[in-house]
Amino acid sequence: MLDAILAPLTETYFQKALIGGSIVAVVAGVVGCLVVLRRMAFLGDALSHAMIAGVAGGYLVMKMLFGYEAHAPGMLLGSLIAAIATVALISFVSRVSRIKEDTTIGIMYTGIFALGVVAVSIFRHYIHIDLMHFIMGDILGVADTDLWVSAFTAVVVLSIIILFFRHFQLATFDPVMAASIGLPVLFLDYVLTTCVSLVVVSAVSMVGVILVVGLLITPAATAYLLSDRLDRMMILSGIFGVTSVVGGLFLCVWLDSAGGGAIMLFCTLQFLVVLALAPKYGLLARWLRLKRMVPQQVVEDVLTTILRNEGVTPLETIRTYVQEPAKSLNKALQRMVQDGLLAASEEGYALTADGQVEADKVLRAHRLWESYLAQIGTPKDQLHSTAHHLEHIREGETIEYLDEKLGHPRRDPHGRLIP
Amino acid sequence: MTTDHPTAANHKKRANAIDVEHLTVSYHARAALLDVSVSIEPDQLVGVIGPNGAGKSTFIKAILGFVKPDIGSVLINGRNVQRVKGQVAYVPQRGSVDWDFPITVQEVALMGRYQKIPWYTSPRKRDRQAAVEALEMVRMADFADRQIGELSGGQQQRVFLARALAQGSEILLLDEPFAGVDAATERAILDVLGRAKEVGKTLVVVHHDLATAGEYFDKLLLIKQRLYAYGPPEAVLEEELLSKVYEGRLRIFSDLTKRGEG
Repeated sequence: MLDAILAPLTETYFQKALIGGSIVAVVAGVVGCLVVLRRMAFLGDALSHAMIAGVAGGYLVMKMLFGYEAHAPGMLLGSLIAAIATVALISFVSRVSRIKEDTTIGIMYTGIFALGVVAVSIFRHYIHIDLMHFIMGDILGVADTDLWVSAFTAVVVLSIIILFFRHFQLATFDPVMAASIGLPVLFLDYVLTTCVSLVVVSAVSMVGVILVVGLLITPAATAYLLSDRLDRMMILSGIFGVTSVVGGLFLCVWLDSAGGGAIMLFCTLQFLVVLALAPKYGLLARWLRLKRMVPQQVVEDVLTTILRNEGVTPLETIRTYVQEPAKSLNKALQRMVQDGLLAASEEGYALTADGQVEADKVLRAHRLWESYLAQIGTPKDQLHSTAHHLEHIREGETIEYLDEKLGHPRRDPHGRLIP
Repeated sequence: MTTDHPTAANHKKRANAIDVEHLTVSYHARAALLDVSVSIEPDQLVGVIGPNGAGKSTFIKAILGFVKPDIGSVLINGRNVQRVKGQVAYVPQRGSVDWDFPITVQEVALMGRYQKIPWYTSPRKRDRQAAVEALEMVRMADFADRQIGELSGGQQQRVFLARALAQGSEILLLDEPFAGVDAATERAILDVLGRAKEVGKTLVVVHHDLATAGEYFDKLLLIKQRLYAYGPPEAVLEEELLSKVYEGRLRIFSDLTKRGEG
């Protein structure tokens, strides 16, 4: 077991993958928080796809003009230009035409991706780009230049985000206020988009075009389920990014699978675990909250049962009148004692002063509804059961309306006093 | 006027909070606001009313300095709005806020201080102090560490009001604070607005409900492209005026005007 963990660590390729992947994942996680909160997830996808045209363009230009083969900075610059051109095209088309932004994004990124694929195959004798590597990534074959590029990107992007944290926070949360105190909201948008492009470009070589968007948004979404503050969300997101890379790389070595795929699989599993177990926003917590809730109807039925019974009412009696499974009835009774509506004793349950007030309200509603039903000609044998459903409707001025309409009756159709 | 010393006006204790002079704002050929002139005095609770599409939101944007007027100007505390930033604190409409945003009550209040914090430092002690004081004023200090989505509608509105107070601006601009809250909350918000006025704030509130407008505000400003009236409620909620502006879209004028008079 220990060997399975230690053995890969001695391999250079694994170390490089670990370091390079972690650097990219931290910065992708941090920037990803803003991407998630601004609902820009699709943009990350668009940028990564557009990149291939930029890489091909950069490769071609550097080779034709300067004779460099696979010039890394040239391709990087090309990717950035392609990414920014895509964003500009998207916002231009969605502004001047009736086509909405999501559709425009889809059109532009597939179009530019296609352009890149066609260019790479036409010029296959001049440029040597392995499309498969580009699409799937090659984290286990990370070159030293890739490491340096991603380290540089990480430092630049993280510095910008940390220095202008408040600016990004306010511009994301309330752009109107941000503009009103003089923040350059539009410029901040451009800066953020450029940061996302940088991150995407440096991540593509590791996890590939298709999985980049996952690395950008999944750790951020995972952190979102756990934090109520943006700064903490960013820190957590960075950590989740790193754990995805570390966990994914070991998964990849143990299972002998593709690196990028293993990382994103681990990342997604991590998300699912948090989605299920997050203390506040998780599914389990939600389910428990729902389960703990006692339906108002049961509470009201218990109240009126005890009121009609006058005095301490044994559990048996309550059980006969309130049709509710024993377990949830017990829970309701417990909760009502906690809330100070009931007083429990050996013989059974009694209303407290608060409980009496609540019960009177329900009973009053019940009897007024019965009177109303009798007036509109409901058969006598149905009065009670129908009113039993209707008594829960008494928000706002409903009951006062009934009372007024019926001319403030003192007794219900059965001749009982209306409280 | 001519006999006045030129600087006398500047030395007056307080100028008008907002001066709008011959303001025309257009989108293409359509004028959203046409020749609007109004002076809003300080320490007032002013309701801005008018039908949908009457230019209320353009009016807000103009006061925040977001629109370029075709002609005319907006002065905030006597200075052109384009040249001063953050003099008007803005309280957004409830519907436009992302209530799931990872942010606490305390952090929202602190945002009011962002303009005063240099970009290279983190919030200082006095900034945090100001945020806490603002929260205390709207009685939300006990909720400082709550995420904003966990609050009730009225509490949420109060938090944003605290942010506006922390900003230290003399003028607060509120976009439909009473939309979608129940009667009790409406009272609570109104109470806080009253307290803000007591400490010398000028509040400009966009309001939709004519039935309560007369009761809530010191002055009403009735716009539909042009300024139809500005003055005390009983003068603005006048049947002839309302039927002209609302073009029969309201049938309870007599009821309203009665309330305005009483």
